[in-house]
Amino acid sequence: MGEVKKHDTPKVDQLKTGPWPSFVDDIYSYAEKHKKQACFDIMGQMELSYINRETHWKHGGIVGVFGYGGGVIGRYSDQQEKFPAIWAFHTVRVHHTAGKWYHTAALRKLCDMWDNRGSGIVNFHGSTGDIILLGTVTDQLEPIFFDLTHQLHWDLGGSGSNLRSPACCMGKSRCEWALVDVQELDYELTMAFQDELHRPAFPYKFKFKFSACPLDCVASVARADMSFIGTWRDDIRIDQEAVRAYVRGELKPNAGAFSDRDWGPFDIKKEVIDLCPTKCMYWDENEQKLYINNSECNRCMHCIAVMPEALRPGQDTGIAILIGAKAPILEGAQLSTLIVPFMKVESPYDELKDFIYKAWDYWMENGKNRERIGELIQRIGLNKFITEVMGLTPIPQHVRVPRDNPYIFWKEEEVEGGWTRDVAEFRKRHPA
Amino acid sequence: MDKEELKQKIIQIMEEKVKKGGKTKIYLKDLQREIPDANPREIKNAANELVREGKLEYFSTGSTVMFGLPGVGMGLEAGVEKPE
Repeated sequence: MGEVKKHDTPKVDQLKTGPWPSFVDDIYSYAEKHKKQACFDIMGQMELSYINRETHWKHGGIVGVFGYGGGVIGRYSDQQEKFPAIWAFHTVRVHHTAGKWYHTAALRKLCDMWDNRGSGIVNFHGSTGDIILLGTVTDQLEPIFFDLTHQLHWDLGGSGSNLRSPACCMGKSRCEWALVDVQELDYELTMAFQDELHRPAFPYKFKFKFSACPLDCVASVARADMSFIGTWRDDIRIDQEAVRAYVRGELKPNAGAFSDRDWGPFDIKKEVIDLCPTKCMYWDENEQKLYINNSECNRCMHCIAVMPEALRPGQDTGIAILIGAKAPILEGAQLSTLIVPFMKVESPYDELKDFIYKAWDYWMENGKNRERIGELIQRIGLNKFITEVMGLTPIPQHVRVPRDNPYIFWKEEEVEGGWTRDVAEFRKRHPA
Repeated sequence: MDKEELKQKIIQIMEEKVKKGGKTKIYLKDLQREIPDANPREIKNAANELVREGKLEYFSTGSTVMFGLPGVGMGLEAGVEKPE
Protein backbone atom coordinates (compact mmCIF):
# COMPACT_ATOMS: atom_id res chain seq x y z
CA MET A 1 0.00 0.00 0.00
CA GLY A 2 1.39 3.41 -0.99
CA GLU A 3 2.03 6.40 1.23
CA VAL A 4 -1.03 8.08 2.66
CA LYS A 5 -1.38 11.83 2.89
CA LYS A 6 -2.78 13.37 6.05
CA HIS A 7 -4.32 16.83 5.80
CA ASP A 8 -3.93 19.65 8.28
CA THR A 9 -7.28 19.82 10.15
CA PRO A 10 -7.11 22.22 13.14
CA LYS A 11 -10.85 22.94 13.23
CA VAL A 12 -11.90 19.32 13.00
CA ASP A 13 -9.30 18.43 15.65
CA GLN A 14 -11.09 20.70 18.13
CA LEU A 15 -13.87 18.12 18.21
CA LYS A 16 -11.46 15.79 19.99
CA THR A 17 -11.15 18.10 22.98
CA GLY A 18 -14.68 17.70 24.37
CA PRO A 19 -15.65 15.29 27.15
CA TRP A 20 -17.58 13.06 24.75
CA PRO A 21 -16.22 10.26 22.54
CA SER A 22 -15.14 11.79 19.27
CA PHE A 23 -15.70 10.38 15.78
CA VAL A 24 -12.60 12.33 14.74
CA ASP A 25 -10.42 10.21 17.03
CA ASP A 26 -12.11 7.06 15.77
CA ILE A 27 -11.68 7.89 12.09
CA TYR A 28 -8.04 9.00 12.48
CA SER A 29 -7.03 5.98 14.53
CA TYR A 30 -8.73 3.65 12.02
CA ALA A 31 -7.16 5.53 9.08
CA GLU A 32 -3.66 5.28 10.54
CA LYS A 33 -4.01 1.62 11.42
CA HIS A 34 -5.38 0.58 8.01
CA LYS A 35 -3.61 3.26 5.92
CA LYS A 36 -6.94 4.43 4.45
CA GLN A 37 -6.51 7.55 2.34
CA ALA A 38 -10.32 7.95 2.05
CA CYS A 39 -10.57 8.48 5.82
CA PHE A 40 -7.85 11.18 5.77
CA ASP A 41 -9.50 12.81 2.75
CA ILE A 42 -12.89 12.91 4.39
CA MET A 43 -11.42 14.72 7.38
CA GLY A 44 -9.68 17.11 4.98
CA GLN A 45 -12.91 17.86 3.13
CA MET A 46 -14.73 18.38 6.43
CA GLU A 47 -12.06 20.90 7.48
CA LEU A 48 -12.60 22.71 4.19
CA SER A 49 -16.37 22.75 4.80
CA TYR A 50 -15.80 24.26 8.25
CA ILE A 51 -13.62 26.99 6.69
CA ASN A 52 -16.00 27.72 3.79
CA ARG A 53 -19.15 27.08 5.82
CA GLU A 54 -20.69 25.07 3.02
CA THR A 55 -20.87 21.46 1.98
CA HIS A 56 -18.56 20.02 -0.64
CA TRP A 57 -20.74 17.00 -1.41
CA LYS A 58 -22.89 16.72 -4.44
CA HIS A 59 -25.35 13.92 -4.84
CA GLY A 60 -27.81 12.24 -7.19
CA GLY A 61 -27.50 9.66 -9.90
CA ILE A 62 -26.33 6.34 -8.58
CA VAL A 63 -29.25 4.45 -7.19
CA GLY A 64 -28.18 1.02 -6.36
CA VAL A 65 -27.42 -2.32 -7.74
CA PHE A 66 -29.08 -3.99 -10.70
CA GLY A 67 -32.81 -4.45 -10.15
CA TYR A 68 -32.88 -2.45 -6.92
CA GLY A 69 -34.31 1.06 -6.87
CA GLY A 70 -32.84 1.94 -3.51
CA GLY A 71 -30.31 1.07 -0.86
CA VAL A 72 -27.39 3.02 -2.33
CA ILE A 73 -27.14 6.79 -2.26
CA GLY A 74 -24.66 8.41 -4.62
CA ARG A 75 -22.28 10.93 -3.08
CA TYR A 76 -19.49 12.76 -4.93
CA SER A 77 -16.93 15.26 -3.76
CA ASP A 78 -16.75 18.59 -5.59
CA GLN A 79 -13.09 18.82 -4.48
CA GLN A 80 -11.81 15.84 -6.42
CA GLU A 81 -8.37 17.28 -7.11
CA LYS A 82 -7.70 17.91 -3.44
CA PHE A 83 -9.32 14.73 -2.15
CA PRO A 84 -9.10 12.09 -4.91
CA ALA A 85 -9.75 9.13 -2.59
CA ILE A 86 -13.29 10.36 -1.95
CA TRP A 87 -14.16 11.41 -5.51
CA ALA A 88 -17.06 8.99 -5.03
CA PHE A 89 -18.17 8.23 -1.51
CA HIS A 90 -21.46 6.36 -1.86
CA THR A 91 -23.58 5.35 1.10
CA VAL A 92 -24.87 1.79 1.33
CA ARG A 93 -27.91 1.14 3.53
CA VAL A 94 -27.98 -2.37 4.98
CA HIS A 95 -31.30 -3.61 6.31
CA HIS A 96 -31.12 -4.01 10.10
CA THR A 97 -32.65 -6.99 11.88
CA ALA A 98 -35.93 -6.78 13.82
CA GLY A 99 -35.14 -5.32 17.24
CA LYS A 100 -31.53 -4.78 16.11
CA TRP A 101 -30.16 -8.05 17.46
CA TYR A 102 -26.95 -9.16 15.76
CA HIS A 103 -24.61 -12.06 16.20
CA THR A 104 -21.08 -10.78 16.71
CA ALA A 105 -19.83 -13.18 14.02
CA ALA A 106 -22.21 -11.58 11.51
CA LEU A 107 -20.99 -8.10 12.42
CA ARG A 108 -17.34 -9.18 12.15
CA LYS A 109 -17.95 -10.52 8.64
CA LEU A 110 -19.79 -7.34 7.66
CA CYS A 111 -16.92 -5.20 8.96
CA ASP A 112 -14.31 -7.36 7.19
CA MET A 113 -16.20 -6.93 3.94
CA TRP A 114 -16.42 -3.17 4.47
CA ASP A 115 -12.70 -2.87 5.39
CA ASN A 116 -11.97 -4.51 2.08
CA ARG A 117 -14.52 -2.85 -0.21
CA GLY A 118 -15.25 0.51 1.38
CA SER A 119 -13.87 3.26 3.56
CA GLY A 120 -14.34 1.22 6.74
CA ILE A 121 -16.58 3.90 8.25
CA VAL A 122 -19.97 2.69 9.50
CA ASN A 123 -22.88 4.28 11.31
CA PHE A 124 -24.96 2.16 13.69
CA HIS A 125 -27.71 3.12 12.94
CA GLY A 126 -29.04 5.78 10.57
CA SER A 127 -32.22 7.70 11.38
CA THR A 128 -34.46 5.25 9.55
CA GLY A 129 -32.81 2.34 11.31
CA ASP A 130 -30.48 0.80 8.75
CA ILE A 131 -26.82 0.06 9.24
CA ILE A 132 -25.11 2.75 7.17
CA LEU A 133 -21.89 1.88 5.37
CA LEU A 134 -20.33 5.22 4.50
CA GLY A 135 -18.11 5.64 1.50
CA THR A 136 -17.35 3.43 -1.45
CA VAL A 137 -16.80 3.84 -5.18
CA THR A 138 -19.14 2.88 -8.01
CA ASP A 139 -17.06 -0.13 -9.14
CA GLN A 140 -17.46 -1.73 -5.74
CA LEU A 141 -21.28 -1.54 -5.57
CA GLU A 142 -22.11 -4.81 -7.32
CA PRO A 143 -19.36 -6.79 -5.50
CA ILE A 144 -20.64 -5.38 -2.18
CA PHE A 145 -24.17 -6.42 -3.07
CA PHE A 146 -23.02 -9.92 -4.03
CA ASP A 147 -21.04 -10.32 -0.80
CA LEU A 148 -23.92 -8.99 1.31
CA THR A 149 -26.63 -11.13 -0.20
CA HIS A 150 -24.86 -14.32 -1.25
CA GLN A 151 -22.21 -14.69 1.43
CA LEU A 152 -23.39 -12.79 4.49
CA HIS A 153 -27.15 -13.16 3.86
CA TRP A 154 -27.97 -9.51 4.51
CA ASP A 155 -30.05 -7.28 2.26
CA LEU A 156 -30.05 -3.63 1.28
CA GLY A 157 -32.46 -1.26 3.02
CA GLY A 158 -34.84 1.25 1.47
CA SER A 159 -34.11 4.69 0.07
CA GLY A 160 -35.70 7.02 -2.48
CA SER A 161 -39.44 6.74 -3.12
CA ASN A 162 -39.56 3.29 -1.59
CA LEU A 163 -40.86 1.75 1.57
CA ARG A 164 -38.00 2.43 3.97
CA SER A 165 -36.65 -0.37 6.17
CA PRO A 166 -39.31 -1.07 8.82
CA ALA A 167 -38.03 -0.82 12.42
CA CYS A 168 -39.31 -2.07 15.76
CA CYS A 169 -38.39 -2.04 19.46
CA MET A 170 -36.90 -5.06 21.26
CA GLY A 171 -40.46 -6.17 22.07
CA LYS A 172 -40.97 -9.53 23.66
CA SER A 173 -37.28 -10.45 23.37
CA ARG A 174 -36.47 -8.28 26.39
CA CYS A 175 -39.40 -6.26 27.60
CA GLU A 176 -42.09 -7.35 30.05
CA TRP A 177 -44.40 -4.59 28.78
CA ALA A 178 -44.49 -5.81 25.20
CA LEU A 179 -48.15 -6.23 24.32
CA VAL A 180 -47.72 -7.63 20.83
CA ASP A 181 -44.88 -9.46 19.10
CA VAL A 182 -43.58 -6.52 17.08
CA GLN A 183 -40.50 -8.38 15.92
CA GLU A 184 -42.68 -10.94 14.18
CA LEU A 185 -44.90 -8.18 12.81
CA ASP A 186 -41.86 -6.26 11.55
CA TYR A 187 -40.42 -9.37 9.89
CA GLU A 188 -43.72 -10.43 8.37
CA LEU A 189 -44.48 -7.02 6.83
CA THR A 190 -40.87 -6.60 5.65
CA MET A 191 -41.08 -9.90 3.78
CA ALA A 192 -44.58 -9.19 2.46
CA PHE A 193 -43.62 -5.78 1.04
CA GLN A 194 -40.25 -6.67 -0.54
CA ASP A 195 -41.28 -5.15 -3.86
CA GLU A 196 -42.20 -1.81 -2.27
CA LEU A 197 -38.93 -1.90 -0.29
CA HIS A 198 -36.64 -2.42 -3.24
CA ARG A 199 -38.41 -0.76 -6.14
CA PRO A 200 -39.77 2.79 -6.27
CA ALA A 201 -43.52 2.72 -5.79
CA PHE A 202 -44.66 5.90 -4.14
CA PRO A 203 -44.78 9.70 -4.57
CA TYR A 204 -42.17 9.94 -1.77
CA LYS A 205 -40.70 7.98 1.14
CA PHE A 206 -42.87 5.81 3.41
CA LYS A 207 -41.83 4.52 6.84
CA PHE A 208 -43.20 1.83 9.16
CA LYS A 209 -42.27 1.73 12.84
CA PHE A 210 -43.51 -0.72 15.46
CA SER A 211 -43.61 -0.20 19.22
CA ALA A 212 -44.79 -3.04 21.41
CA CYS A 213 -46.41 -0.74 23.98
CA PRO A 214 -47.60 2.87 24.22
CA LEU A 215 -44.34 4.00 25.88
CA ASP A 216 -43.15 3.93 22.25
CA CYS A 217 -39.41 3.46 22.74
CA VAL A 218 -38.77 3.69 18.97
CA ALA A 219 -40.63 7.05 18.87
CA SER A 220 -42.82 5.74 16.09
CA VAL A 221 -45.30 8.57 16.64
CA ALA A 222 -42.65 11.06 15.52
CA ARG A 223 -40.70 9.02 12.98
CA ALA A 224 -43.08 6.92 10.91
CA ASP A 225 -45.65 7.56 8.22
CA MET A 226 -47.50 4.60 9.67
CA SER A 227 -46.94 3.73 13.34
CA PHE A 228 -48.09 0.45 14.89
CA ILE A 229 -48.27 0.58 18.67
CA GLY A 230 -49.15 -2.26 21.02
CA THR A 231 -52.20 -1.52 23.18
CA TRP A 232 -55.10 -3.25 24.96
CA ARG A 233 -58.87 -2.82 25.05
CA ASP A 234 -59.89 -4.34 28.40
CA ASP A 235 -59.18 -2.80 31.80
CA ILE A 236 -55.88 -1.93 33.47
CA ARG A 237 -55.18 -4.58 36.08
CA ILE A 238 -54.86 -3.04 39.56
CA ASP A 239 -53.21 -4.53 42.64
CA GLN A 240 -54.65 -2.20 45.29
CA GLU A 241 -52.27 -3.46 47.99
CA ALA A 242 -49.26 -2.58 45.79
CA VAL A 243 -50.77 0.87 45.11
CA ARG A 244 -50.93 1.43 48.87
CA ALA A 245 -47.33 0.22 49.19
CA TYR A 246 -46.26 2.91 46.68
CA VAL A 247 -48.24 5.54 48.60
CA ARG A 248 -46.62 4.46 51.89
CA GLY A 249 -43.18 4.73 50.24
CA GLU A 250 -42.43 1.00 50.46
CA LEU A 251 -41.99 0.62 46.71
CA LYS A 252 -39.87 2.93 44.57
CA PRO A 253 -41.77 4.75 41.81
CA ASN A 254 -40.65 4.05 38.21
CA ALA A 255 -38.92 0.92 39.57
CA GLY A 256 -36.22 3.18 41.02
CA ALA A 257 -35.26 4.64 37.65
CA PHE A 258 -35.04 8.20 39.04
CA SER A 259 -33.57 7.37 42.45
CA ASP A 260 -30.21 9.04 41.74
CA ARG A 261 -31.43 12.15 43.52
CA ASP A 262 -33.93 12.87 46.30
CA TRP A 263 -37.28 13.85 44.80
CA GLY A 264 -39.04 13.74 48.18
CA PRO A 265 -41.74 11.27 49.19
CA PHE A 266 -43.90 9.77 46.45
CA ASP A 267 -47.06 11.81 45.88
CA ILE A 268 -49.63 9.76 43.95
CA LYS A 269 -51.81 12.80 43.25
CA LYS A 270 -49.00 14.94 41.86
CA GLU A 271 -47.08 12.22 40.02
CA VAL A 272 -49.90 10.06 38.71
CA ILE A 273 -53.46 11.35 39.10
CA ASP A 274 -52.82 14.96 38.01
CA LEU A 275 -50.63 13.86 35.09
CA CYS A 276 -53.28 11.57 33.60
CA PRO A 277 -54.03 13.18 30.19
CA THR A 278 -57.72 12.19 30.25
CA LYS A 279 -58.25 12.70 34.02
CA CYS A 280 -59.72 9.22 34.25
CA MET A 281 -58.06 8.31 37.57
CA TYR A 282 -59.10 8.99 41.15
CA TRP A 283 -57.26 8.20 44.39
CA ASP A 284 -59.64 7.93 47.36
CA GLU A 285 -57.61 8.99 50.37
CA ASN A 286 -60.15 7.68 52.89
CA GLU A 287 -60.65 4.30 51.26
CA GLN A 288 -56.97 4.18 50.24
CA LYS A 289 -58.16 2.91 46.87
CA LEU A 290 -57.37 3.77 43.24
CA TYR A 291 -60.21 4.04 40.74
CA ILE A 292 -59.73 4.10 36.93
CA ASN A 293 -62.48 4.93 34.46
CA ASN A 294 -61.12 2.67 31.72
CA SER A 295 -63.59 3.90 29.10
CA GLU A 296 -61.90 7.33 29.22
CA CYS A 297 -58.32 6.03 29.42
CA ASN A 298 -56.31 6.65 26.23
CA ARG A 299 -53.69 4.01 27.12
CA CYS A 300 -50.74 6.40 27.50
CA MET A 301 -49.30 4.05 30.12
CA HIS A 302 -47.79 6.79 32.29
CA CYS A 303 -49.45 5.46 35.46
CA ILE A 304 -48.23 1.93 34.68
CA ALA A 305 -44.67 3.15 34.15
CA VAL A 306 -44.73 5.00 37.51
CA MET A 307 -46.25 2.11 39.50
CA PRO A 308 -45.23 -1.05 37.59
CA GLU A 309 -45.87 -3.40 40.51
CA ALA A 310 -49.37 -2.05 41.11
CA LEU A 311 -50.71 -1.56 37.59
CA ARG A 312 -50.46 -3.74 34.53
CA PRO A 313 -51.94 -3.38 31.05
CA GLY A 314 -55.04 -5.39 30.17
CA GLN A 315 -54.80 -8.84 28.61
CA ASP A 316 -56.89 -8.34 25.45
CA THR A 317 -54.05 -6.92 23.37
CA GLY A 318 -53.65 -5.66 19.80
CA ILE A 319 -52.30 -2.61 18.01
CA ALA A 320 -53.27 1.00 17.48
CA ILE A 321 -52.46 2.43 14.03
CA LEU A 322 -51.38 6.03 13.61
CA ILE A 323 -50.60 7.74 10.30
CA GLY A 324 -48.78 10.81 9.15
CA ALA A 325 -45.61 11.73 11.08
CA LYS A 326 -42.94 13.63 9.16
CA ALA A 327 -40.03 16.02 9.49
CA PRO A 328 -40.48 19.65 8.40
CA ILE A 329 -40.49 20.32 4.67
CA LEU A 330 -44.08 21.47 4.21
CA GLU A 331 -46.10 22.90 7.12
CA GLY A 332 -43.54 21.97 9.76
CA ALA A 333 -42.93 18.73 11.62
CA GLN A 334 -45.94 16.60 12.41
CA LEU A 335 -46.68 13.72 14.79
CA SER A 336 -48.83 10.89 13.52
CA THR A 337 -52.58 10.90 14.10
CA LEU A 338 -54.52 8.02 15.60
CA ILE A 339 -56.62 6.42 12.87
CA VAL A 340 -57.42 2.95 14.26
CA PRO A 341 -57.57 2.79 18.09
CA PHE A 342 -57.49 -1.01 18.24
CA MET A 343 -56.95 -3.87 15.82
CA LYS A 344 -56.38 -7.51 16.72
CA VAL A 345 -53.29 -8.78 14.92
CA GLU A 346 -52.54 -12.40 14.22
CA SER A 347 -50.39 -14.05 11.60
CA PRO A 348 -50.69 -13.80 8.57
CA TYR A 349 -51.91 -10.22 9.32
CA ASP A 350 -54.28 -10.05 6.34
CA GLU A 351 -56.54 -7.38 7.85
CA LEU A 352 -53.50 -5.21 8.55
CA LYS A 353 -52.09 -5.69 5.04
CA ASP A 354 -55.48 -4.74 3.52
CA PHE A 355 -55.48 -1.58 5.64
CA ILE A 356 -51.97 -0.68 4.45
CA TYR A 357 -52.80 -1.32 0.79
CA LYS A 358 -55.91 0.87 1.07
CA ALA A 359 -53.86 3.82 2.38
CA TRP A 360 -51.11 3.25 -0.20
CA ASP A 361 -53.52 2.95 -3.14
CA TYR A 362 -55.13 6.29 -2.34
CA TRP A 363 -51.78 7.99 -1.75
CA MET A 364 -50.28 6.56 -4.98
CA GLU A 365 -53.26 7.87 -6.93
CA ASN A 366 -53.80 11.23 -5.23
CA GLY A 367 -50.48 12.18 -3.62
CA LYS A 368 -48.39 14.85 -5.33
CA ASN A 369 -44.72 14.44 -6.11
CA ARG A 370 -42.76 14.51 -2.83
CA GLU A 371 -45.93 14.68 -0.75
CA ARG A 372 -45.91 12.50 2.38
CA ILE A 373 -49.13 10.78 3.35
CA GLY A 374 -49.41 13.06 6.42
CA GLU A 375 -49.37 16.08 4.13
CA LEU A 376 -52.01 14.48 1.91
CA ILE A 377 -54.25 14.01 4.97
CA GLN A 378 -53.70 17.67 5.89
CA ARG A 379 -54.66 18.69 2.37
CA ILE A 380 -57.84 16.64 2.04
CA GLY A 381 -58.85 16.71 5.72
CA LEU A 382 -58.78 14.00 8.36
CA ASN A 383 -62.55 13.57 8.11
CA LYS A 384 -62.40 12.63 4.43
CA PHE A 385 -59.39 10.38 4.96
CA ILE A 386 -61.04 8.40 7.75
CA THR A 387 -64.49 8.06 6.23
CA GLU A 388 -64.11 8.08 2.45
CA VAL A 389 -60.57 6.81 1.97
CA MET A 390 -60.25 4.24 4.73
CA GLY A 391 -63.96 3.51 5.07
CA LEU A 392 -63.86 3.77 8.87
CA THR A 393 -66.44 5.17 11.24
CA PRO A 394 -65.06 8.23 13.00
CA ILE A 395 -65.09 8.35 16.79
CA PRO A 396 -65.28 11.47 19.02
CA GLN A 397 -61.58 11.14 19.88
CA HIS A 398 -60.73 11.80 16.22
CA VAL A 399 -62.05 15.36 16.66
CA ARG A 400 -59.29 17.67 17.86
CA VAL A 401 -61.50 20.76 18.22
CA PRO A 402 -65.19 21.29 17.51
CA ARG A 403 -65.80 23.06 14.19
CA ASP A 404 -65.84 26.86 14.25
CA ASN A 405 -66.92 27.22 10.61
CA PRO A 406 -70.74 27.53 10.42
CA TYR A 407 -70.94 26.59 6.74
CA ILE A 408 -71.83 23.00 6.04
CA PHE A 409 -71.42 21.57 2.58
CA TRP A 410 -73.94 18.81 2.06
CA LYS A 411 -73.52 15.94 -0.32
CA GLU A 412 -76.40 15.17 -2.66
CA GLU A 413 -77.23 11.89 -0.94
CA GLU A 414 -77.52 13.66 2.41
CA VAL A 415 -80.24 16.05 1.19
CA GLU A 416 -83.85 14.90 0.91
CA GLY A 417 -84.76 14.91 -2.78
CA GLY A 418 -81.12 15.50 -3.77
CA TRP A 419 -80.29 18.36 -6.15
CA THR A 420 -83.27 17.60 -8.40
CA ARG A 421 -86.11 18.94 -6.24
CA ASP A 422 -88.57 21.37 -7.80
CA VAL A 423 -87.41 24.81 -6.61
CA ALA A 424 -90.53 26.53 -8.06
CA GLU A 425 -92.71 24.21 -5.99
CA PHE A 426 -90.52 24.94 -2.93
CA ARG A 427 -90.85 28.72 -3.48
CA LYS A 428 -94.64 28.45 -3.60
CA ARG A 429 -94.48 27.39 0.03
CA HIS A 430 -91.44 29.48 1.00
CA PRO A 431 -91.36 32.85 -0.82
CA ALA A 432 -87.85 34.22 -1.24
CA MET B 1 -54.46 -2.20 -20.96
CA ASP B 2 -52.24 -5.26 -20.58
CA LYS B 3 -48.70 -5.08 -19.23
CA GLU B 4 -46.94 -5.12 -22.61
CA GLU B 5 -49.16 -2.30 -23.90
CA LEU B 6 -48.50 -0.35 -20.74
CA LYS B 7 -44.74 -0.81 -21.09
CA GLN B 8 -44.88 0.39 -24.69
CA LYS B 9 -46.96 3.38 -23.66
CA ILE B 10 -44.43 4.30 -20.94
CA ILE B 11 -41.52 4.18 -23.39
CA GLN B 12 -43.53 6.18 -25.92
CA ILE B 13 -44.29 8.89 -23.31
CA MET B 14 -40.65 9.11 -22.26
CA GLU B 15 -39.44 9.34 -25.88
CA GLU B 16 -42.02 11.98 -26.79
CA LYS B 17 -41.01 14.10 -23.82
CA VAL B 18 -37.37 13.96 -24.88
CA LYS B 19 -38.23 14.76 -28.52
CA LYS B 20 -40.17 17.83 -27.44
CA GLY B 21 -37.17 18.99 -25.45
CA GLY B 22 -38.83 18.20 -22.15
CA LYS B 23 -37.45 16.51 -19.08
CA THR B 24 -35.31 13.43 -19.53
CA LYS B 25 -36.02 12.17 -15.99
CA ILE B 26 -39.53 11.97 -14.64
CA TYR B 27 -41.24 10.90 -11.45
CA LEU B 28 -43.55 7.89 -11.29
CA LYS B 29 -46.38 10.35 -10.55
CA ASP B 30 -45.75 12.07 -13.90
CA LEU B 31 -46.17 8.74 -15.67
CA GLN B 32 -49.37 8.11 -13.76
CA ARG B 33 -50.67 11.52 -14.80
CA GLU B 34 -49.96 10.72 -18.46
CA ILE B 35 -51.75 7.35 -18.29
CA PRO B 36 -54.88 8.13 -16.27
CA ASP B 37 -56.75 5.00 -17.34
CA ALA B 38 -54.18 2.62 -15.81
CA ASN B 39 -53.90 1.69 -12.15
CA PRO B 40 -50.90 3.40 -10.43
CA ARG B 41 -49.72 0.06 -9.07
CA GLU B 42 -49.71 -1.46 -12.57
CA ILE B 43 -47.76 1.52 -13.90
CA LYS B 44 -45.24 1.07 -11.09
CA ASN B 45 -44.87 -2.63 -11.85
CA ALA B 46 -44.48 -1.99 -15.59
CA ALA B 47 -41.91 0.80 -15.09
CA ASN B 48 -39.88 -1.33 -12.71
CA GLU B 49 -39.99 -4.22 -15.14
CA LEU B 50 -38.67 -1.90 -17.88
CA VAL B 51 -35.73 -1.08 -15.59
CA ARG B 52 -35.01 -4.78 -15.15
CA GLU B 53 -35.06 -5.15 -18.94
CA GLY B 54 -32.60 -2.26 -19.28
CA LYS B 55 -35.04 -0.07 -21.25
CA LEU B 56 -35.38 2.48 -18.44
CA GLU B 57 -33.03 3.45 -15.63
CA TYR B 58 -33.49 4.87 -12.16
CA PHE B 59 -32.07 8.25 -11.18
CA SER B 60 -32.10 9.05 -7.48
CA THR B 61 -31.22 11.91 -5.19
CA GLY B 62 -31.37 9.59 -2.21
CA SER B 63 -34.75 10.88 -1.10
CA THR B 64 -36.77 10.34 -4.29
CA VAL B 65 -36.38 8.31 -7.44
CA MET B 66 -36.98 9.30 -11.04
CA PHE B 67 -37.09 7.22 -14.24
CA GLY B 68 -35.16 8.01 -17.42
CA LEU B 69 -34.17 6.47 -20.74
CA PRO B 70 -30.63 5.05 -20.57
CA GLY B 71 -28.06 7.29 -22.22
CA VAL B 72 -30.47 10.22 -22.60
CA GLY B 73 -29.93 13.46 -20.71
CA MET B 74 -27.72 13.60 -17.64
CA GLY B 75 -26.05 10.22 -17.08
CA LEU B 76 -25.81 8.50 -13.76
CA GLU B 77 -22.35 9.87 -13.13
CA ALA B 78 -22.45 12.99 -15.29
CA GLY B 79 -19.95 15.58 -14.21
CA VAL B 80 -18.27 13.24 -11.81
CA GLU B 81 -15.33 11.80 -13.64
CA LYS B 82 -12.88 9.72 -11.72
CA PRO B 83 -9.62 11.71 -11.53
CA GLU B 84 -6.48 10.25 -13.11
